[in-house]
Amino acid sequence: MTTWEGLLYGIGFALQPEVLVYCLLGVVLGTFVGVLPGIGAMAAISLLLPVTYYITPEAALIMLAGVYYGAQYGGAVASILMRLPGTPQSAVTTLDGYPMAQQGRAGVALFAAMASSFAGSVIGIVVLVVLAGWLSRAAVAFGAADYAAMMILGLVAASTIGTARPAKGFAMVVLGLLLGCVGTDVNSGVQRFTFGQTELLDGINLVALAMGLFGVAEVIANVRDPERQSLSERIGLRRLMPTRDDLRRMGWPTLRGSALGAFFGALPGTGSTLSSFLSYAMERRVARQPERFGNGAIEGIAGPEAANNSASITAFVPTLTLGIPGDPIMALMLGALVIHGIQPGPLMLEARPEMFWGLVASFGIGNLILLVLNLPLIGIWVAMLRIPFRWLYPAILVFLCLGVYSVRGLSYDIAAVALIGLAGYLLALARFSPALLLLGFVLGPLIETNLRRALLISRGDPMVFLERPIAAGFVLATAALLLLSLWQAWHRRASRRG
Amino acid sequence: MNRDWPDVLGGLALAGIGGLALGWALVHYDLGTLRQMGPGFFPAVLGALLIGLGLIVALPALARSGDTPRFELGSAAAVLAAILIFGFGLRLLGLAGATAASVLVASLAAPHGGWTWRILLALTVTALTVVVFSYGLRMTLPLWPRLP
Repeated sequence: MTTWEGLLYGIGFALQPEVLVYCLLGVVLGTFVGVLPGIGAMAAISLLLPVTYYITPEAALIMLAGVYYGAQYGGAVASILMRLPGTPQSAVTTLDGYPMAQQGRAGVALFAAMASSFAGSVIGIVVLVVLAGWLSRAAVAFGAADYAAMMILGLVAASTIGTARPAKGFAMVVLGLLLGCVGTDVNSGVQRFTFGQTELLDGINLVALAMGLFGVAEVIANVRDPERQSLSERIGLRRLMPTRDDLRRMGWPTLRGSALGAFFGALPGTGSTLSSFLSYAMERRVARQPERFGNGAIEGIAGPEAANNSASITAFVPTLTLGIPGDPIMALMLGALVIHGIQPGPLMLEARPEMFWGLVASFGIGNLILLVLNLPLIGIWVAMLRIPFRWLYPAILVFLCLGVYSVRGLSYDIAAVALIGLAGYLLALARFSPALLLLGFVLGPLIETNLRRALLISRGDPMVFLERPIAAGFVLATAALLLLSLWQAWHRRASRRG
Repeated sequence: MNRDWPDVLGGLALAGIGGLALGWALVHYDLGTLRQMGPGFFPAVLGALLIGLGLIVALPALARSGDTPRFELGSAAAVLAAILIFGFGLRLLGLAGATAASVLVASLAAPHGGWTWRILLALTVTALTVVVFSYGLRMTLPLWPRLP
């Protein structure tokens, strides 16, 4: 199937009424959770995972993806109007978005965020189509050693890049890998760490883990959060249209942000949060008057918003072509596919074209819906920001419990959610990243299987990781990242003393 | 002492978990060889790594000062109790009963609001849950409390 045939086929697929409904549902829900600080895309997707049992895998993926990129749009709303990042990706947008809102230019700031988000997504889609076609052809040559090395690179990158304390990130990844070992070992049939509990034979339930770590922990942390209760009254929403000067300032940052996001989104381990921060830093560096940043510079909204949307689209490249999730949200998406018995990989483009091309087309349609819907609906989102959290969280808890229960019909899983939720809350308090834990959990079994297979083929010779060119490349990159973070730690300590 | 307690305790807890995993894997599972890895190999390596990482997090934090975040005991207790009540009450109280009980308990942690608000909220959420899950998604669950 050529690219054009694929695209046309995908558009036809995504425009079917029942698929379109799930796309619409996904993006609206995504915007909603993006707007509300405290509930992120992660929690929303884990809440929706059980619902996907009832629909086709294609519709499920389209809906969950809609939540993900919809949340990127919604996140900007809370960032601009309340200086509260609705999602981690939009934290940067508060820096210049909120000052613009205080100057009575909230409408323009929102317009800039939406328009650059849309442009970023379109560029992300183009990069996704090109890269996915190329990678799925190249990936046929990937062996077990290459897969294992690539996933390890992804984990190392996720825990070192853009984090203040890499050791804490690593520890979370390793804990996640360990939790991934729980259950029956595929190779030997031995039950590991089940302690005689039959409920654990299939491993720890992904839905329970995700909901506990994100849903429950976020609810506990936000119940009494005083910041949640108020919304600044001084917001100028009358004027949405930017001036010609604004438009001129938005152009290049949007393009640069999109390119940056497309690149980092496709790399495993680095995602949309990192790319929005990098884009902000880059715009500030290239600006003629860097002092305008932080005081309502529209470039500081356009660049990062384009970057995080572009990255959230290209993040699907490794997930769909290699079956390797590059970030925790992709890990949940992969989980949703695996629930349906689909293991994405290089052959998926050929074997299930409706999955790939339908998803690509739904990205276009979903982003168009977001662009068209969101500007007129801003009033509604602002009204939602005024709903006190105490009206929402009891319902969130009940839905979350029912979602977990619907997977296997076991009260055991609901009790597990409570326990995992407590652990997740403690982790969040101590600033350990639960997202990295989840990434390790999902990748753990894949890494172990490929590692064992690679060493079986090489008859126990670990040199296989350096002899195969692809694996060697990943191993070298991993080593470089580790050295870099060691050097940074040493540098920080030296500068603190001196 | 105003130490960086989250890192100290968190790191030590992780090292402890790593130690338990390593010990358990060594005692109960076959390690195998590099060529034919047994079921214990991967967990044992991870356990050892986690011990090391936990200590790397915890030990430098002993010498560092930091602020201790507030553990919201009330919120945590209400939220977790609500989940457990729902989980274990589902069979006994039915969907409607378990939802109402769980919402009432969860709402205890809310900053404002009296009993009128709590009961109103419980009724709303229960109605919503029954409509969405019982009639909408057709989950097969008992709706009402089972009479003895």
